[in-house]
Amino acid sequence: MAKNKPAISLENLTPTQLMEYDACTRCGECVKYCPTYNARNKDQAIEPRDKILRWREFVTKSYGWKAKIFGPAAIPPEEIKKFTDDLYNCTTCGMCGTVCCAGIDTIELWEATRANLVKHGTGPYGKQSLFPKLIGEGHNPYLKQQKDRLAWMTPDIKIVDKSDIAYFIGCTAGYNQQVLGVSTARILNKLNVPFMVLGEDEWCCASALIRTGQQHLGDVPKQSALHNIEALKARGAKRVIFACAGCFRAAKIDWPRAYGKALPFEAIHMSQFLAEQLDAGKIKWEKSLDNKTVTYHDPCHLGRHVGVFEEPRKVLKSMPGVKLVEMERNRNEQRCCGAGGGVKAGIPDLALGVAKDRMGDAKATGAEVLISTCPFCRRNLLDGRDDLKLEMRVDDLVVLTANLMGLSTDVKPPAPGAPKESISDLFRTQTIPPKPPEPPKAAAAPANAPKEAPKEAPKK
Amino acid sequence: MAEGLTIFGKEVFDTLFIDWKIMVPVAIFSIIMFFVGLYLQLNKWGQGIPEGATKPVGAWGTLKLIVHKIFERGIGPALGIIILDGLFQRRTWRRRKTEWAMHILIFWGYLGLFILTVVAAATEFYGPFVLNETPGNPQLFVQTFQVLKPFNMLFATMLTLGIIIAIIRRLAFADVPPARFTSVDWIAIAGLSIVIITGFLAFYLRLDVYHVPGRELVSAYEATTPGFFNNITVLFHEVFTLLFCVAYLPFSKLFHMFVTPLVIMMQKGGYVEVNA
Repeated sequence: MAKNKPAISLENLTPTQLMEYDACTRCGECVKYCPTYNARNKDQAIEPRDKILRWREFVTKSYGWKAKIFGPAAIPPEEIKKFTDDLYNCTTCGMCGTVCCAGIDTIELWEATRANLVKHGTGPYGKQSLFPKLIGEGHNPYLKQQKDRLAWMTPDIKIVDKSDIAYFIGCTAGYNQQVLGVSTARILNKLNVPFMVLGEDEWCCASALIRTGQQHLGDVPKQSALHNIEALKARGAKRVIFACAGCFRAAKIDWPRAYGKALPFEAIHMSQFLAEQLDAGKIKWEKSLDNKTVTYHDPCHLGRHVGVFEEPRKVLKSMPGVKLVEMERNRNEQRCCGAGGGVKAGIPDLALGVAKDRMGDAKATGAEVLISTCPFCRRNLLDGRDDLKLEMRVDDLVVLTANLMGLSTDVKPPAPGAPKESISDLFRTQTIPPKPPEPPKAAAAPANAPKEAPKEAPKK
Repeated sequence: MAEGLTIFGKEVFDTLFIDWKIMVPVAIFSIIMFFVGLYLQLNKWGQGIPEGATKPVGAWGTLKLIVHKIFERGIGPALGIIILDGLFQRRTWRRRKTEWAMHILIFWGYLGLFILTVVAAATEFYGPFVLNETPGNPQLFVQTFQVLKPFNMLFATMLTLGIIIAIIRRLAFADVPPARFTSVDWIAIAGLSIVIITGFLAFYLRLDVYHVPGRELVSAYEATTPGFFNNITVLFHEVFTLLFCVAYLPFSKLFHMFVTPLVIMMQKGGYVEVNA
């Protein structure tokens, strides 16, 4: 009798990762901290350790010694599908890896396994499958035009054609969170830091594809990374500033892999840049926050993934009228906002559940303001705040910095129905006009066109 | 009654508690099975493709990869991680103190017993081959055995304590819901329990029932302690322990005892707080 074929493949997994699956001692430390397990009412199937156990069982059934002798055992497709869905119920925040007693690099492990399952045909999850087309063809995940990359620019902002310093804006700040774009640009102008941008030549960092295991589809992340790197290099960039933690993470970790060597420029997050300027005595605070209590949320992509914890705090502590209080879970033990790993686009109810937990952490401090350094966290935490009907204001460190430096954080008059995150939440000088009623639907869209772009999704 | 095994005119294994005709083949079989299991595991991991490679590296490639990754940053840093994270399990200590105690007791208890076994086996050969002890005069081995006995007791007690902590912690002090239990877990717990229970039973028989204070020549057992040589409990304990703790080890859940420290070493200690 012919032997069965293995029900799973080991594609995309390294020998080290296969060892990691065998190394889990199932101590359960990851379970204590997993944000999605908690938001899913402590469903055992969402536990990192249970996912490891299940994949290990799949591998044993397909490639273990019994499989060698008697042939691979069958695994019901629905079991693999259930595993896939559970694996995507994860923001790839990396908390499990941080606390793992076995030192397992879970971020890489989940992403590699996701890529394996995409090849298997069971991944990704829901709307995440739109990412390759959106990012591959449109170079952004929001169905926007490249020519509108700088649509957020206001007349007061000065951008030079050539400079050592570049600002990589990112899709989210460029299209949906203009307040971050204008605040970053105005701060750089005020500090007399001439900077350039890629404008229409900027492509999505493609982080969303890597986080959801779709990096191999059309090789889009590699193409995007190479395009951005070459474009920045061609314009002579020596330092590239990122105000988006998702893009920054991609530039620090994913781009060098695609490039095959170290980047030809230094990637720096805006919070690090601000801390530097503070040290150099260049930042002059012109306003005070009037003794407001502020708490800081470490974005996973800035904190755990690349290790930037202290610079944002340094900037916050230096601000007049800011009383910084820490959430119980902070720095490397921070709880994820819930938006990462494609969850915001693919599983919005899970993203909201985690955001509410994180807002609960912030509420417990008694803070009036929650500050983060990632537009994606900000958007999801705003959703959590609204769902919980909390009074707390949620904004980005860059927006707060701009205001206290005496700069306007106003964006171009927001279009009717523009996303709430377009404008500052903390300094409410603008309002978003309500969306007009939708006209009757015209002819149906082409069958192969994406019906809907993820509202605010895929950056992480 | 069987006496020792004669190799190149020298006699070894003439003081075992069970017949070497049973013990030696079981030991050889167990060691072979251990290496077969190790190969199968390496081969399984070797079906993965390392970053930058284009095809699976196989068992040998995986072994090279393990060594390369551990010593990638030089011998000094590697040794630090081997000692702190491998031998003393720093990551577990930082987060889970009870588990750390359990792991350390089981790991060192297991390793200690293994080392004693190797020392005993080496002594079997050292006496006749190096010191030229005459057949029927296993003085060195008998003396060594007396020295090893308290250590044997210490490591066995450590192993037992570790397993007791594991069970009590799981039943009474778990801070997270228990992990899903599989047949592999049951086999591990049942197997280790058998090893320990029969081990102490054999120890009790030896000291309290048959009053065997130490090793003596096989031929002397019948005269001094009739019924002890090849006693079924002792025989079962030693054979089962070899099969379960050596032959079956690479196929069992207990293999994480080796894989986990290896992974930590390959990951250079795993995640550490960058700004801490």
